[in-house]
Amino acid sequence: MTTERDQAGFDAPAPLGHPARASMPKGHPTGPGVGEQLPDFELPDANGQPVRLHEHRAGARAALIFYRSAVW
Amino acid sequence: MRDAHTKFEAHGIKLYAVSYDDQETLQEFAREQDIPYPLLSDIDSRVIEQYGILNTEVSRDDAFLYGIPFPGVYVCDESGEVVATFFHDSYKKRDSAESLIDAALGRTLIDDDAPQADGGDGEIRITAAVQGGKASIRQGILRKLIVRFDLGEGLHIYSDPVPKGMVATQVEVSGPPGFTTLPMETPATEKLRLESMGVDLQVWSNTVDIVVPFYARGELASETRPLDSDTIDIEVKVRYQACTDNECLLPATEAFAFTLKMDVIDVPNLGFHKGHGQREGRFDSTPAMRRLIWRKVKKNPLGLLKFLWKNIKLELGARKRAKQQNSH
Repeated sequence: MTTERDQAGFDAPAPLGHPARASMPKGHPTGPGVGEQLPDFELPDANGQPVRLHEHRAGARAALIFYRSAVW
Repeated sequence: MRDAHTKFEAHGIKLYAVSYDDQETLQEFAREQDIPYPLLSDIDSRVIEQYGILNTEVSRDDAFLYGIPFPGVYVCDESGEVVATFFHDSYKKRDSAESLIDAALGRTLIDDDAPQADGGDGEIRITAAVQGGKASIRQGILRKLIVRFDLGEGLHIYSDPVPKGMVATQVEVSGPPGFTTLPMETPATEKLRLESMGVDLQVWSNTVDIVVPFYARGELASETRPLDSDTIDIEVKVRYQACTDNECLLPATEAFAFTLKMDVIDVPNLGFHKGHGQREGRFDSTPAMRRLIWRKVKKNPLGLLKFLWKNIKLELGARKRAKQQNSH
């Protein structure tokens, strides 16, 4: 695929306008904000073990990363 | 994040990473890349939707892409309350582990191994440092230039706005084309009235950290081109004026220079990422990609056709633009 530089100045191995290059539109909400409680959830980890966020944290500070994919 | 995990651990901060990948993929990925923290499988993007950050620019017809989030990070304190969020106007902009740690701990740390330089004199000491990821430069990854003032007892420096003729603290960071800075980040100020001059000022005292985040754009570091050089030189100019509780001192300027290391990017081991001069990941994600496409497409087979057609159209558009550019 053709490589193009986007408006933000970044290169990626996909043409401009490709959905894989879609960034967050200006003003889009970003979920829970500062001062709010991080919503709890349960998801399986890489070994299939269920992880419930706040229980697993066990009172520790935490960084919760949402990323696009480990595949591509 | 993998290399930085020990830093998170040392500060008692837990790390979690959520994506829409299946468990098998995450298992292979964690094994091949030695990832010690939980990779959580949000296979139907339920939590991504719960958080309200599903990438709405991607349509259900965009085959395997549907279900990804706008990438970002939340940092919470011991009680689970959000203390910082990191989202950007480009998915390419990412924060360094050190920024997340600083947010979790509510302060700015300068690592011992961060490149740093000293200036100032006995009463006003200035340290400039480049913080984050051992100060290596990659496309889109944010690093921080920190200018730390250690002000003697009773000394202050000014924030904008200042009365005419006085100098507010300024930090300018410059580098080669593609070196890009974000607006200066400063702590809260205090009000100070200089009775002798009859002026009100907004000032900082004691230890003051002024931060200029910066990152590399495609001209400097690109995911689709080998590096032009192994290092870059950047320059930091600091201008400030200090005062006591009664009078202003003379304005002063300090300059610092750093040579920073350029680094290639770890790219997934897939055809369209290869051959650009970047570091190919150990994790061969081809089987995972097949699984992902199958999982997404079986729910919407027509979507795959639409997606393929869209790709052809976008590719033709890109080639046309490339041709036009070459003919100029």
